[in-house]
Amino acid sequence: MEPLSWLEILTRAAQQLLPVWIALALTFGLSIRFKRRLGLYGKLFDSRVGMIGFAIVMFWLFTAIFADWIVTHDALSQVSRMRNVVPGTPLPDPRDAYPYYLLGGDSLARDVFSRMVMGAREVLRIAPFAAMISFMIGISLGLPAGYFGGKMDTTLSFGANLVLAFPVILLFFLLVAPEIQQTPIPRAMAGFLFLVPILFATVLLNSRFFTQPAKRNLYVGVVLVVGAWAYAGLVFNADPVGLWSMSPNLLNVFVAVVFVNAPTVFRIVRGITLDIKSRDYVAAAQTRGEGPWYIMLWEILPNARGPLIVDFCLRIGYTTILLGTLGFFGLGVSPESPDWGSTINAGRRLLTVYPHPALVPALSLMSLVLGLNLLADGLREESLKD
Amino acid sequence: MTNWTPDQPILEIKNLSISFFTRLREIPAVMDFSCTVMAGEAMGLVGESGCGKSTVALAVMRDLGVNGRIVGGSITFKGRDLTNMSQEELRSLRGSEIAMIYQEPMASLNPAMKIGAQLAEVPMIHEGMPKAEAWALARQLVADVRLPDPDRILNSYPHQLSGGQQQRIVIAMALMSKPSLLILDEPTTALDVTVEAGIVDLVNDLAEKYGTSMLFISHNLGLVMEVCDRITVMYSGEAVETGDIKDVFDKMRHPYTQALFRSIPLPGANKNARPLRAIPGNFPLPHERPQGCNFGPRCDYFVEGQCNAHEIAMSAVPGDTRHHSRCLRFDAIDWDAAPPSAAVVEDSVVGDVILRMDDVRKYYEVAASSLFSGGDPKVVKANETLSFEAREGETLAIVGESGCGKSTFAKVLMGLETATEGKIMLFDENVQSTPIQQRNTDTVSSLQMVFQNPFDTLNPSMTVGRQIIRALEIFGVGETDADRQQRMLELLDLVKLPREFATRMPRQLSGGQKQRVGIARAFAGNAKVVIADEPVSALDVSVQAAVTELLMDIQRKNKTTLLFISHDLSIVRYLSDRVLVMYLGHVVELGTTDQVFAPPYHPYTEALLSAVPIADTSIQKNRIVLEGDIPSAVSPPPGCPFQTRCRWKSKVPGNKCETELPAARDTGDGHLIKCHLDPAVLESMEPVFRTAAE
Repeated sequence: MEPLSWLEILTRAAQQLLPVWIALALTFGLSIRFKRRLGLYGKLFDSRVGMIGFAIVMFWLFTAIFADWIVTHDALSQVSRMRNVVPGTPLPDPRDAYPYYLLGGDSLARDVFSRMVMGAREVLRIAPFAAMISFMIGISLGLPAGYFGGKMDTTLSFGANLVLAFPVILLFFLLVAPEIQQTPIPRAMAGFLFLVPILFATVLLNSRFFTQPAKRNLYVGVVLVVGAWAYAGLVFNADPVGLWSMSPNLLNVFVAVVFVNAPTVFRIVRGITLDIKSRDYVAAAQTRGEGPWYIMLWEILPNARGPLIVDFCLRIGYTTILLGTLGFFGLGVSPESPDWGSTINAGRRLLTVYPHPALVPALSLMSLVLGLNLLADGLREESLKD
Repeated sequence: MTNWTPDQPILEIKNLSISFFTRLREIPAVMDFSCTVMAGEAMGLVGESGCGKSTVALAVMRDLGVNGRIVGGSITFKGRDLTNMSQEELRSLRGSEIAMIYQEPMASLNPAMKIGAQLAEVPMIHEGMPKAEAWALARQLVADVRLPDPDRILNSYPHQLSGGQQQRIVIAMALMSKPSLLILDEPTTALDVTVEAGIVDLVNDLAEKYGTSMLFISHNLGLVMEVCDRITVMYSGEAVETGDIKDVFDKMRHPYTQALFRSIPLPGANKNARPLRAIPGNFPLPHERPQGCNFGPRCDYFVEGQCNAHEIAMSAVPGDTRHHSRCLRFDAIDWDAAPPSAAVVEDSVVGDVILRMDDVRKYYEVAASSLFSGGDPKVVKANETLSFEAREGETLAIVGESGCGKSTFAKVLMGLETATEGKIMLFDENVQSTPIQQRNTDTVSSLQMVFQNPFDTLNPSMTVGRQIIRALEIFGVGETDADRQQRMLELLDLVKLPREFATRMPRQLSGGQKQRVGIARAFAGNAKVVIADEPVSALDVSVQAAVTELLMDIQRKNKTTLLFISHDLSIVRYLSDRVLVMYLGHVVELGTTDQVFAPPYHPYTEALLSAVPIADTSIQKNRIVLEGDIPSAVSPPPGCPFQTRCRWKSKVPGNKCETELPAARDTGDGHLIKCHLDPAVLESMEPVFRTAAE
């Protein structure tokens, strides 16, 4: 068979991505139709920059979700005589398989297109989740630091500064190095990091519903059961059902990412809290005898959401780059993993001869981070307008 | 420059229309606005917030921002049309020919530049004046705005000056290049009344000295009366009445002007016999203005088919010079008719003592620096020997300027802070050293607070109903969710808000409506004592009247004790039974409203009363302008706290004022005055207000 021309490659790639286009069209159609009722999310569709960013981010998100339907080949399997082939090369002996390597093959004769698609799944599985845990920890510590002030603030701020002052890459090397992995340090840190979200949810619900014990017990009970289940799975790898699990390697990456991100979030939250705590509605809550956690979580936090949402988007992007960097250094993930960072690293050696195996994941990473930045810009712009 | 002669108007605005363009629609902010300012004349621009008065000022400066555009009409300044001038020409005009003074002095000064450099910059840029000359001029102007020690001031940074001093510097800066027109946009709103009186005095003198024309924007009718020669009243983007101060104040010819005057507490208004009349309804949104007269739907004299038929133009009022009104029916309305009198309500009965404060003190320790705790910690004496009692169903006003300790007092009473010394008895229970977390629900729910800033008093991300229900939950009212829902709706009825508001977010409510929700929340647990911390000072006058009436209504119904913290003596006189005047943490005077508002006065009360602008041409008052600022509470003056600004000090023999703290003296019937002055001297004081001989 003849190799495909670029136009044919693009058409076929677009065809493979059909589920993504459908999902994108649906999302945009519905969102624009109802944008006046959707608050800040709806306002996003008034800003061109925000819409472009949102489209790029959603493109990768849907790609990750529908990855199984999109891939043309298994991301790990090799096909003989396909090493370093250029994009659009037909398979020598396709049989039932897809007859082309759309974006060429890498140095181990794997399909670059499929690895890109599966890589999106790898990246998007960790980055948002890690950013979320970072936020919960930053919020849980930043709120009391800002609200109570005094010694607590001094201590926590000092700790945060200490982590921030440490060179990030070096910290990563330390945390993910095999010698450290053997020690109980990562597990202990994971034990602490994953405990915070559970405590966060418990305090959140308790402070709100303590006047109605029946409701409170129900909600807090559900949180505790689900929390304990996930906790057992994630930290001790001992989930009886097997739904929650995380390989020790991934756990370490996760812990490292959260550890370096949380202090920045802490500082943002602390700053906003200092501002909001002088508002009259906080004083009103105090004068009706509300507890400090209710005030922090229900009076202050919801009103700090604007800058936090924007930072969340930026932080996912930042985490994605961080994961890419980690993968590039060969840290944390298995050598086979199709994640973009590792793939860029693998393609690096033959970059001058065969640029496509490294270029494809690099452009993917770039576009995702760009999309997240544009989205954050759009959100910030729109949240400032009335 | 065109041929302009001083007998022509300095500023002539003709049929000006301004719109703002947003994503959704064009919002007309000002429509068909005309006004003329002659040389040396001061024109007052009055209206409620959102009526477009600041937009007019910004249009004159051609500084409407990216969304604003002049869509019609002309602005002629000294014969030159401003509306089609290039940016280049405008720049040479701004700051030199037209100067503007804004509300917030700190925001108008560059915090990183010394005062002298900022002042000298103006003539250096506009006239190319040499530096030395410019500094000399700056020094002279600083002296002109009556600041002490001009050399020191020139070398200080803005943050080293007090708010009043900063505003004087802004005025000096505006006058640096001797502008022909000065635009003042609420120049004193951020300042205390006694400081405001000083600024007003200064502006009047300077305008006379330099012959500057002024466009004075304010929501305060009393202030406009003191400063201006002419007045334009604006409503919903239109000028509704314009004329000489005396004509408009005494012979108003537009129903809105009349309604405005009826809603402000003038001397003689009384909460029981002559209550204020709020203007019914709400201000129309700019894109929902009615057909015809904008004020029509809220007007008492509205006639269907006449007032809402077509757009109404300004027409001259016969008999007066340059007096115009935008009312079709001003000939038909009987302007001297008394307002339809509301039912006279009975004075609420004052019951037993509910709250007693005994010698309460609150000191704060301020460490010199938290990092290196060397040196002696400084002590801020926020409250000193505060003693008074409040009875059931009574309104006790607490009056004083910023920094006098009113807010600390409120915090101590609420339990957000504990007092350093003394006793606070609430229903025979000593709550002095009990912080709010340890008070029981009953105590907490019976002592509640209404806050000052309506835009801050509600949590912006919770529905109105949810916020009230939360208070009910905390106070343990109601058994089930349904009970509380019902009670919440009743509370909305109580504060006269429609029940649909329960599901609204606070940003969908106007300032007055938010304040009502704040009141509903405070009364959720049947509060017995309510501290109202300047509850109406941030609201427009017509809304102020309504919220004040609401508070009075609820008080009568529930026999609530109201502690009304305010700096506005007009409203205090209107609604309170007893008044407590505070200065630098001390109670300087305490008595019934009549006692406090008539001689003998404490010298501070006298100055405070005289500083309040009153929008009534028939009232004459003694002008007493206090020198200087309130001393810092960190280093209060020795002896009497007021001695640094007191004009009666010379009447006290020896240096008693500087050495000895005066004791509170009873001048009869429980009227306490903390002053060294001889009773005979006190008795000889003249009343501050006099009604002019008819």
